[in-house]
Amino acid sequence: METLGNIALGLSVAITPINLLYCFVGSVLGTMVGVLPGVGPVTTVALLLPISFTLEPVSAMIMLAGIYYGAQYGGSTTAILIRIPGESSSVVTTIDGYQMAQQGRAGPALGIAALGSFFAGCVATLLITFAAPPLAAIALQFGPPEYFSLMLCGLVASVVLARGSVVKAIAMVVVGLLLGLSGNDVNSAVRRFTFGVSGLADGIEFVALSMAIYGIAEVAYNLEKKSEHMQAATGIGRVWPSTADIRKCIPSILRGTALGSVLGVLPGGGALLASFAAYTLEKKVASHPRTFGNGDIRGVAAPESANNAGAQTSFVPMLTLGIPSNPTMALMIGALMVHGIAPGPQVMTSRPELFWGLVASMWIGNFMLVVLNLPLVGLWVKLVQIPYRLLFPAIVAFCCVGAYTINANVTDLYVMAAFTVFGYVCLKLDCEPAPLILGFVLGPLMEENLRRSMLMSRGDPMVFVNERISLGFLVVAAALLIVLVAPAIRAKRNEAMTE
Amino acid sequence: MRIKAPKDFWSGVMFVGLAVVAFVTSQGYSLGTSTKMGPGYFPVVLSLVLGILGLVLVARSLVLAGEALEAFHGRAIAVLVVAIVAFGLMIGKLGLVVALGLVTAFSAMASAQFRAFEVVALSAFVTLISVLIFVVALRLPLSVWPSF
Repeated sequence: METLGNIALGLSVAITPINLLYCFVGSVLGTMVGVLPGVGPVTTVALLLPISFTLEPVSAMIMLAGIYYGAQYGGSTTAILIRIPGESSSVVTTIDGYQMAQQGRAGPALGIAALGSFFAGCVATLLITFAAPPLAAIALQFGPPEYFSLMLCGLVASVVLARGSVVKAIAMVVVGLLLGLSGNDVNSAVRRFTFGVSGLADGIEFVALSMAIYGIAEVAYNLEKKSEHMQAATGIGRVWPSTADIRKCIPSILRGTALGSVLGVLPGGGALLASFAAYTLEKKVASHPRTFGNGDIRGVAAPESANNAGAQTSFVPMLTLGIPSNPTMALMIGALMVHGIAPGPQVMTSRPELFWGLVASMWIGNFMLVVLNLPLVGLWVKLVQIPYRLLFPAIVAFCCVGAYTINANVTDLYVMAAFTVFGYVCLKLDCEPAPLILGFVLGPLMEENLRRSMLMSRGDPMVFVNERISLGFLVVAAALLIVLVAPAIRAKRNEAMTE
Repeated sequence: MRIKAPKDFWSGVMFVGLAVVAFVTSQGYSLGTSTKMGPGYFPVVLSLVLGILGLVLVARSLVLAGEALEAFHGRAIAVLVVAIVAFGLMIGKLGLVVALGLVTAFSAMASAQFRAFEVVALSAFVTLISVLIFVVALRLPLSVWPSF
């Protein structure tokens, strides 16, 4: 019964005109950036952080969440029609989706992608509704050692997803942790890593850092790549898939949803991993795997369901534990912190309207997306034809205004300039920025929990092993590291990432 | 000795450099004890870990072959960085309209496909939208016009 009350509370929050508006704005913006190659949800969330700070926390979270799952819808549109994945999580959709479009079946491909996503979104939201409260209840009993080990585990898991060298990814985590420590130390009031700059007293501004890395450094990197000439498939045809198509896809959608929901919850998981895994699974279970790659509708249905399910359930660790599972979630945690809300299991009890309002808005948002997307496909395709040379100066301009308005502090702009160079160098050296952002968010929290744990145990580091739950997290972290370093599995992982 | 994996080598060098900066800076903060950690404890531990990871990368790059360095195109990144810094220098005195208009137009030069007419229209549009969003809708305390 409590669940029903919670859902009712959530709906009452999400259905207010202002929150419906932000849900709509978020979903539409998300679809737009999902369609536009070169502008992803992370960049957009980073761009909108300064705006979100002026809103009510609930409205801000509803809008930012809409961008993330909206992008999953948008990404598939371009993947199918022009073989350009708007989003990395739609990469596998290009394989069969574009083939279908070539065969004149673009309509059903788009239709099944939207329907699969909608179904997956609803199931994943249900899952959050039932799974989050018990998880938060467990997490409420966590002490500092458990939290420290959990964060360590989360950071190690984020390395799993990073492309390329494991050592580089771990090093990026450590750099992020160090950057996160800058500014006044809460315990001793010592100013750390400010290099005598008074504007850095409060530390490196999170928004400036994320805009530099995901906004401007990306722009510089994109400008160097040769722009591909894109040819839209002509004629979309009937969007609604035939009964035969739907019947064929139901098992795939179910499998994709299940797999995506599970992978989304894991730290380091999310939409990208889910879509790859779902496609691989479909190929494994199919009786005639040859049809995959030649326009098999199941090759669209499964990954599209999985990426939306994963996008949705990746909110679970963020909302219940305060642990981001991917960079978008890290940005959302940053947004919550600026609103003065410490993310963690207490949010659900202390701010139920925030938690349940956000969950309910996901339902509404998914519904809006499926209704909006199919009729508007033509418009989205036009959007792709906006040349990047018109897009990027706007990104740079919004980053500048955004970074400045947070604190009206020009130091933040110079920080952004410096990290633009750093982010660019990292991209050139194949050092993924995602682990750095996660490290940056978790740095101060990790230090705080480490300090408290050691104080509790009177300086005995065995405290992390003696507590059962903490030990469990450490074992998982160690197992992940071993798996990562084992050469055979590494080769397979790289194969999956490049495929 | 030959560098067999330039990307890994230079990443390693970068991480070692950052580790040294962090380690040296942390010397100014007290370490404390493992029971009562001072502000220097965590940074020192982290910088040591970072240094080791960097050295591993460097060492590995001398043994295992890897990718060559990508060419650096200075133009885009230089233009963008100058644009941000210029915005920082102008925003206080010149206000949003002038600063943002100039910076948008300037940053467009980061692309090789620069077209003068298009850029003027674009910066006017971006500036207008920004004023509408940040000043009119969100009421952020930004000066719109130059003040002397």
